[in-house]
Amino acid sequence: MTTHSTRVVVGVYHLTKSFGKQFVLRDINLQVANGEFVFLVGHSGAGKSTLLRLIYMDDFPTSGQVVVGPYVSTRMQRSIIPQLRRRIGIIFQDFKLLEDRNVFENVALAMRINGTPMGEIKRQATDILTRVGLYHKRYEYPPALSGGEQQRVSIARAVANRPAVLLADEPTGNLDPVVTRSILDLLFKINAGGTAVLMATHDLDMVKSFGQRIIYLEDGRIKRDKEMIYVGDLRERIAESKVGREAEELGDHDLSDRQEE
Amino acid sequence: MNFNEFRYIIDEAGMMLWRRKGANIISILIMGLSLLVVVVFVLVTLNISRVIGKAGTELRIFVYLEDAVDGRTAENIQYRLLGMKGVEEVVFISRREALDDFKQSLGEGSDFLDDLEFNPLPDAYRVKLKPDYLGSRFMERLGAEIGSWEGVEEARYGKRWIERAEKLVKGFYMVDFVLGLIIFFSVVFVISNTVRLTVLYRRKTIEVMKLVGATNAYIRTPFIIEGALQGIIASLLAIGLLCAVFTAGCRYLPELVFLGWEAIVIFITFCALLGAAVSFAAMRRFLKI
Repeated sequence: MTTHSTRVVVGVYHLTKSFGKQFVLRDINLQVANGEFVFLVGHSGAGKSTLLRLIYMDDFPTSGQVVVGPYVSTRMQRSIIPQLRRRIGIIFQDFKLLEDRNVFENVALAMRINGTPMGEIKRQATDILTRVGLYHKRYEYPPALSGGEQQRVSIARAVANRPAVLLADEPTGNLDPVVTRSILDLLFKINAGGTAVLMATHDLDMVKSFGQRIIYLEDGRIKRDKEMIYVGDLRERIAESKVGREAEELGDHDLSDRQEE
Repeated sequence: MNFNEFRYIIDEAGMMLWRRKGANIISILIMGLSLLVVVVFVLVTLNISRVIGKAGTELRIFVYLEDAVDGRTAENIQYRLLGMKGVEEVVFISRREALDDFKQSLGEGSDFLDDLEFNPLPDAYRVKLKPDYLGSRFMERLGAEIGSWEGVEEARYGKRWIERAEKLVKGFYMVDFVLGLIIFFSVVFVISNTVRLTVLYRRKTIEVMKLVGATNAYIRTPFIIEGALQGIIASLLAIGLLCAVFTAGCRYLPELVFLGWEAIVIFITFCALLGAAVSFAAMRRFLKI
């Protein structure tokens, strides 16, 4: 069905970012392959959020380059940024849901902005909400949901446009361990569908047991980067896990197709 | 932009207005009340200038004839007056009529003039000028010229009164203009701050929309529509309140006039544009463009 290449979906090359004289990131090099799951680990202030912001181009490097699919930071025009954002999903610690819209509308927003027909939005949103287990709460408003549920809605919104990569900035920072685990499982499930995930977290203990690639960020530099894992290996490993079995149940709704669309 | 996108943008504007009813109602009230100050000011200015204009058209030059003047000379004077530039109408008032008028103006019971053995008043012409020639300077020139004619005792037009009135009117318009400017800018300031608060209030919406990849047009258009609608509703509110004030005022001053239709249409259009413009300006800062 899909040929999984090791194509790079996010590339960061000799990136340096400073605010005035303060260096936040120094000479960062990293690539995230299509379908890969990468943890970006570091203390608060290590530069994780800044790195993610540079990737979704809310800000630009002082020197060096960020490449996301066909978009290159050094040749970026502001008017093209919306196109880039539609090809990456972003989730945050504070969910960033619109509180005056219900769950369905929050998810639909991501598809409305590019003019997806109403029928298609309904179908797609229903499908995604079912997969994150919140279809029965589609008419609820965010304040009525628990933290875990809100994060699920924000994940649903992030993947609504079938992005090539999902950026997650401390997505479990506000959640208790049990809910954290369920959110991670959901992210693994989405990754198993072919979407690359780059997740920033300060919690090394939480992530080191998973065996995914971990990039350590310290004082704005990459301290250590476990070798890039080829998707094939990753798939095998996931297939053996519980998450992998769930992912298979997703059936033919495979998120990985969009790269070739 | 395809049709769906267009439809969603309109939909977003409706959603913004409807879902934030409370905040919107407060904004509209603030805007409506500030605009009420503007329309009340305009209405008051309009009515005062109407009264001033009316008073101006009632100005006349009185040409008093010498006692000994004969009928021919008097007739001659009338023709000359009619032939002058700016003269609209010349009315002869005989000394008898003048005395009767005077008596009447003193009141019924007055016997003050009964002992009078002769009529001290002269014959006169009352000269009405065309509206464009009403003014102390022209009237002074005219008065001086007429006064030098043969058979004319004096030409009077209330020189000092007119000059003082003109000064007063000029002063009034100047104060009115400055006051108008101050009110105008205060109201624009109040409205733009109100709208800016509305936009600020939705900073998170704007942020989220940018994150999911909405274009600036998609984010901005609903705000501009909202701003324009707020302007329209607020101006209608102001006009409505002005109507109420006007109706109440008419009980005491029945000769008051209301704003014309054209003025109302211009006012509403202006408010719509103002709402849209300040909304646009407030957005610019958040969209970083």
